Amino acid sequence: MAVLSAWRVARVTPLGELHTPPRMTAALLRLTVQIVLVASLWRGLYHATGTTAGLDRDQAVTYAVLAVLASRVRELDQYSGRDTVLQHMHFGTIVYWYLRPLPPQRYYALRALGEQVYGFAWALAGYAVCLAAGVVRPPGSAAVAGVFALSLLLGQLVMYYVMLVIDQLCFWTLRNGAAIMILIFAQNLLSGVYAPLWFFPDWFITLSAFLPFQATLSVPLSLYVGRIPLSDAGFQLAVQAGWVVVLALFTRLLWRRAARRVISQGG
Amino acid sequence: MSGSIEVRGLSRTFHTTVRRPGFLGGVRSLVNPERVAKEAVCDISFDVAPGELLALLGPNGAGKSTTIKMLTGILTPTAGEARVAGVVPYEERERNARNIGAVFGQRTQLWWDLPVRESFSILRDIYEVPKAEHAARLKEFDELLALSSFWDTRVRHLSLGQRVRSDMAAALLHDPPVVFLDEPTIGMDVVVKEQVREFLRHQVEERGRTVLLTTHDMTEVERLAERVVLINHGRLVLDGTLDEIRRKFGSTWQVRATLADPHTPVEPLPGITLLRREGPQVVFGPDGPTAPTVHQALKQVIERYEVTDIALDEAELEDVMRAAYVQSEVRVEDRAGGA
Repeated sequence: MAVLSAWRVARVTPLGELHTPPRMTAALLRLTVQIVLVASLWRGLYHATGTTAGLDRDQAVTYAVLAVLASRVRELDQYSGRDTVLQHMHFGTIVYWYLRPLPPQRYYALRALGEQVYGFAWALAGYAVCLAAGVVRPPGSAAVAGVFALSLLLGQLVMYYVMLVIDQLCFWTLRNGAAIMILIFAQNLLSGVYAPLWFFPDWFITLSAFLPFQATLSVPLSLYVGRIPLSDAGFQLAVQAGWVVVLALFTRLLWRRAARRVISQGG
Repeated sequence: MSGSIEVRGLSRTFHTTVRRPGFLGGVRSLVNPERVAKEAVCDISFDVAPGELLALLGPNGAGKSTTIKMLTGILTPTAGEARVAGVVPYEERERNARNIGAVFGQRTQLWWDLPVRESFSILRDIYEVPKAEHAARLKEFDELLALSSFWDTRVRHLSLGQRVRSDMAAALLHDPPVVFLDEPTIGMDVVVKEQVREFLRHQVEERGRTVLLTTHDMTEVERLAERVVLINHGRLVLDGTLDEIRRKFGSTWQVRATLADPHTPVEPLPGITLLRREGPQVVFGPDGPTAPTVHQALKQVIERYEVTDIALDEAELEDVMRAAYVQSEVRVEDRAGGA
C-alpha cells in the first residue's frame, strides 16, 4: 500500500527548511524575541498584582511562553516552498495530487505529520531551554505531565483538522487569503495564543466553549499550569476527543466534495 | 501490460455562470444567475496503439487539455467512455495512476524547496518502485537528459529547461506504459527541445511507451508523431497520418513568388490563399477542397501578378495545420448556420 512506503512525504516541509538555513535562523530569532517579550510583558502585567483570572504570575508566564512554543508546531513556512493548498490551486499543480496512487488526503496527512513532529522538536528544545532558564515552571506532578501530554496530542489533532478545514476552503474559493487570515486570527485568539482565555469576559469564554479552537492550546496549557484541576481533566479530554471525531468526519466529507470539485473542473 | 488508449464518444460539458454587463446586470446576476453550458469536448473517438506516439492537435481552447484530463482521470466525462491501459481512468483513479505518467506544460510536480533528487526519491516511495529499479532508471534518464549536472540543485533554482527535463523524468520514474504530455516543451529553447524530443523518441521506440502529446510546435509533431488527431471546438476534425493530412488539406504545395513591385496589393485568388507576405516575397497555398492543382495555381499567380522570381515547394506543416484549422472553423460555422 502506497501510504506505508510514502512516509518520505512526511519529510517534505522539514527538509525544505533544512535546505534553507536562513529560514531556520529567522525562526530561531523570532521565537527567542517572542519568548523574551511575552515573558517580560506578563511579568510586567503582574508587577502590582497577585492573582488575576485565577492565574498567578508564574502560571501566566508559563502559559504564555508555552503558547508561543506550541504555536511553532504548525508554523512552518509552506508559502515560500510553494506548497500551500492555495498555491497548488492557483498554479494548477493540485492536479498532481490526484494523479498519484497516494490519495490527496493521505498525502496531506503525512505531510502535516512530518511538519508537526518537526515543529514539536523545536518546541521541545525551546521548552528545555526555558525550563533550565527558569522562564517556565515544570508541571505540578507526574500525573499533570501525563494528562498534559495526552491533552497536547489531542489538541494537535484538533489543530491539524482546523488547519485542514482552512486549506480545504481553497478548493471553493481560489483567493481566500483574507478568509485565511481571519481564521488564523480567530484560531490564535480563541485558542489562547494571544492571551489565556481566562482573562476574557464570561460571554467570550462561553462562546469559545462552543468552538474547537480552545481545545487546541487553551485546554492543554491550562492543565499544565494547574488552572484546570486534574479532577476536570477527564471532561476536558473527552471534549477534545469529541472535536477530533467531529472534525475528522467533517473534513472527510470536505475531501470528498473537494475531489468532486476537482474532477468536475479538471483541476 | 498493454498501453493502449481507447476513446469512444467522449464528451464533456462545463456549466458556468454568465455575468451580465453593467451594475444592474451585476446585481441581477447575483439574484438570478444565468447558467450556460459549454461543450468543451463533444463525441470524440480515437485509439492509440501500444507503443505509438499520437499528437493531439488543435487551436487554443479546442478541447485538448480537457481530453487529456479525462484520460488521466482528473476529469469525469459527461458522456462516452475511455480506457487507458485497460482501466477506466475516472472510475479507478488510483489504479490508473500507476499506469500513467503526465506532464502539464510548465506546471511542475516537483517540490520547490527540495533538490531534484529528493523529489525523485519521494516519488519512488509514493509509487513503490524498488530501489535498484529506481537507480537503474535514473541512470538511463540521466544519460538522455543530463540530469546529474543539476539534480542536487533545489527546484526553485532550476532553469525552465532543467525543470521540464526533471519533470519529464519524474513522470516516467515508475515506468508507466502510457504517458500524457500537455505542451511539455512550451517556452523552451531549441537545444533543450531537441533533447526532450530525443528522450521521447527513445521512450517510444526503445521502451514501447504509448505517448499522447499536445503541442503547438509543428516541428515537434513532424519529428515525433506519425499520426495526428486534430480537434477544434471540442470536435474531432481529423484522425490520420501526417501524409494523409497533407493530402486531405491539399497543402502539398506552396508557391513562393517575388513581386516586381513590392507595394502591389495582394489578395487571395480563387482556391488559393495568401499564407505569408514579407515585402516583395509572397507565399500562396491551396484554399479548401476546391483548390487548384499546383500547375493551375502557378499559372494563376503569374497571370495575376508581375513576378521576378517564382518557386514551388512542399508546404510546411504549420501551414498545413493552419489550413486544417481554417477549414474546421468553416465546418463548425456551417453547422451552426444550419442549426
